[in-house]
Amino acid sequence: MNTILKLEHIQKYYGNEGNITKAIKDISFSVEAGEFLGIMGASGSGKTTLLNCISTIDTVSAGHIFLEGTDVTEIKPKSLARFRRENLGFVFQDFNLLDTLTISENIALALAINKVPAGSIEPRILDIAQKLNISDILNKYPYQVSGGQKQRCACARAIINNPKLLLADEPTGALDSHSSQMLLSTIQSINEQLKATILMVTHDTFTASYASRILFLKDGEIFMELRKGNDSRSAFFDKILNVLTMIGGGQSHVC
Amino acid sequence: MYAKLVFRNAKRSVKDYLVYIVTMTICVTLFYAFLSISSSFYNPDIGSEYDFTMLSDGMKIAICMITLLLLFLIRFVNHYMLRRKQKEFAVQSIMGMEQKTIGRIFFAETLIMGMFSILIGIFFGVFCSQFITAMLLTAYGKPYEISWTLFPDTVLLTVVFFAASFFVVGIFNTHTIQKTKIIDMLSAEKENEPELKQSRFISVVAAFFELVTVWGLITGIQKVLFYYDTRFALPVQLMFWGNILFPLLTLLWSIFCIIIKKKREYFITGLLICSVLNAFAAASVAALTNEYYLPLGNGTLNQYLLFVLIDLLFFICALIYLTSGLIVTWKEKSPERRYHEEALFFFGQIISKLNTTSKTMAIICITLALAIFMFVAAPILTGWSSGFLDIRSMYDVQVFSRYNGVHEEKNLPQDSYEIITDFLTEHKINTDYDCTFDLYLPKKDDFHRRQKYDFPIAAISLSDYNTIRKMLGYEQISLGEDEFTTQWKTIATEEEKSCFLAEHTSVAADGAILNLSEQSCHEEAMGESVYNSYTNVLYVFPDHICKNLLPVIRNRYITTAENISYENAKELEKLFTEEYPEQTESGVMYGIRFSTLQTNSTIANNFVLQAAMLYGAVVLMIICLTVLSLQQLLDAGQYKCRFSVLRKLGVEEKHIGKLILKQLSVWFGLPIIVAILVDAVVISYFLQTIAAEISAYIGFGALMLQIGATVGILVILLICYFISTWIIFKRSVNPW
Repeated sequence: MNTILKLEHIQKYYGNEGNITKAIKDISFSVEAGEFLGIMGASGSGKTTLLNCISTIDTVSAGHIFLEGTDVTEIKPKSLARFRRENLGFVFQDFNLLDTLTISENIALALAINKVPAGSIEPRILDIAQKLNISDILNKYPYQVSGGQKQRCACARAIINNPKLLLADEPTGALDSHSSQMLLSTIQSINEQLKATILMVTHDTFTASYASRILFLKDGEIFMELRKGNDSRSAFFDKILNVLTMIGGGQSHVC
Repeated sequence: MYAKLVFRNAKRSVKDYLVYIVTMTICVTLFYAFLSISSSFYNPDIGSEYDFTMLSDGMKIAICMITLLLLFLIRFVNHYMLRRKQKEFAVQSIMGMEQKTIGRIFFAETLIMGMFSILIGIFFGVFCSQFITAMLLTAYGKPYEISWTLFPDTVLLTVVFFAASFFVVGIFNTHTIQKTKIIDMLSAEKENEPELKQSRFISVVAAFFELVTVWGLITGIQKVLFYYDTRFALPVQLMFWGNILFPLLTLLWSIFCIIIKKKREYFITGLLICSVLNAFAAASVAALTNEYYLPLGNGTLNQYLLFVLIDLLFFICALIYLTSGLIVTWKEKSPERRYHEEALFFFGQIISKLNTTSKTMAIICITLALAIFMFVAAPILTGWSSGFLDIRSMYDVQVFSRYNGVHEEKNLPQDSYEIITDFLTEHKINTDYDCTFDLYLPKKDDFHRRQKYDFPIAAISLSDYNTIRKMLGYEQISLGEDEFTTQWKTIATEEEKSCFLAEHTSVAADGAILNLSEQSCHEEAMGESVYNSYTNVLYVFPDHICKNLLPVIRNRYITTAENISYENAKELEKLFTEEYPEQTESGVMYGIRFSTLQTNSTIANNFVLQAAMLYGAVVLMIICLTVLSLQQLLDAGQYKCRFSVLRKLGVEEKHIGKLILKQLSVWFGLPIIVAILVDAVVISYFLQTIAAEISAYIGFGALMLQIGATVGILVILLICYFISTWIIFKRSVNPW
């Protein structure tokens, strides 16, 4: 398998000289093509900062990020937007759909921004809508549909350009358990059938159990790595819980 | 503790309050500057021949009426501030502060800001009132020098007016804050998902329009029943039938739509077209009445002008309502257009905003149209009236008579108005020229011709005519033995003159036939009273001919060595009217005019008119632009998150900048373009109907210059508002 994303000694500091907060101390890892990687950690562990750095929304203080051999940290600010729209797809916790556009227009916007010929836009939307089971709400506005449907629309928007990497930030954070389950199966099928590489940040154990590998962050460093391997999802779920207890506990704190 | 909080809040959030302060300061400045003229401490040197009191009373009323509009603006800006601070209020409430206290703190903050802007406003107002003094003194033809004075009564009035309005609005605000739920305050920034439900505004407007159309139809039928005659010229016949046909068409269309249940957009589109047709038909009434001397009264004309006005108002509302539909259709038509880069986003922004604010937009558009019209009409009206003044008040004292009500020849005026001579001698006013003269009827039989369009043209003797010319500083003229010439009013058109002269190469007077002299036509202005009623021309006959004619009018023109003071003129006017009232038993009408009084009243009226119209136009303009700009900035929080989605989707900053510019251009451009469009039609109609007066009293060149200047002011105002909105918008959308 070839490596699609590679992080080398990433560091990220906030604040000025006298008062420095290290959000990310030193993180290195790589993601293989077609992998479904989960990143877990408590609040303040640096997972969102990490995602922002990978997605080029934020800059790193030190280290390199390679996406298919391109050093993301070296891209000029002017070309960043272009890089994002050609290589990355985003799914956010609060959907971030434009409420002035219908579901289908929301998806079309991602294609239009990428300068896809107008003629091929609508067939592609119909195609992806069928795969994600949102065909019958295409002409509705975001405020007319449920949260789960919104998030599936956001997924459709994120993958319609066939990005090299799909970044998901707490995708189930605003959904009820039923919708979460449906969305996660969708994401899993995107990963398995469309062969998309997915990097998902979450602090929910159930959500994380859908990933094939999980990195646990603590205080800006990788604390542990867990692979699903041939485990069933429930076994994997238990393993995750164990790790979380370990992170959260830290024997010395108990007494 | 609370006082400290108030001051610190106010200091910290000056930036938030910037819009508030600027708007308030402009309001106070305008108010103070225009009102300062009516101050009792205001004594500009306009000379003893003029009186100032009449002006200040008119001014005060006009300013106060217009300023009521400002209340609306103060309320709107306050609403904006309230929305911006919702989140802060929520935090304070959660911390346990009572909502009553929060309301009071907000009130205190706005009051501090308000007082601050009153101070700055009065300071700027002192500057601005200099301009107005300059304007005033120029109007009276006096030199002006700048003086810095603060008028205590104006200051008091300004402070009282604005403080009172702050209090009223403040009470409303406190009430609103008390009634708002904390949860609503917290989510205030996130609310406002566009509810795309159809507003009821257009239905109400359409229903009103239908009612007026029914009225129009009934009026049309009535007019045909009362006035229609098959002998009328074709355009007049078309006008009569058009005013029945088009309202009928409008009503039939509505019934048709109701029966087959057409979509509302189609219905309104049909009505829009009908309103244009109706407006044309109704507008033609006034134009054709002038052209063909139709016997329709002023009441009818005003009624039809009202119809035109209502048609126009409906046109604006319907057009704004349909705009979003038009954009949707345009967008849907071609995928290339729709899917061109960020076009989808842009369309979404515009359509959702238009759908939710079509009512506000229509009102803004109407107000803008009114403001622009006032801007353009002010110079026309004042130019007209001051041009007319120059032509009317050519003599210091002007006595004239009319024989329109006289039926016996023995009752015709024969006095030489000695009362004036006595008065002038008594007050030691020397005269330069004094001329008492008769106007004659060329034929005695014409004495009884009293129909308006058939009034006889009067004649003057050559010697009297030359005396008047000498008074006015024109060259003397001479005539051959059996020759005559003509003198024309300024308002007469070239066409009218050449037509008349071609038809009247000779004139039969009692006992002689006269031929037109080589110098057939004199156009120097000589005042209005030297002509017979309803005529634009005066014959000039040799003296010996006039001896045999019937004198019907006796006038007396005097120019004095020095100006007659305002008091003297008033007194003499009173004495004269006692002896020679406007209506006498014999039927003769007498009148006296003093250039002092005429100039004074015209200048004063003109000034009040011009100042009030300009003030009103600026105020309306500022209201519209502020509302337009705040409408965009109000939603900045929501836009911030939309634009951040775009950024994450990978849209370059340059494109985002372009999108913002495009969005603001449409938002500002749409109402302005619609208003200009409507105004262009209205103003050209207005100019068309008074074209003769404009060319006679103002001149088209001078008018265009004035209109150009006012349009310049308009454009500058617009650019200022546009740029500041653009900058604030960009800042609030930026994540950094």
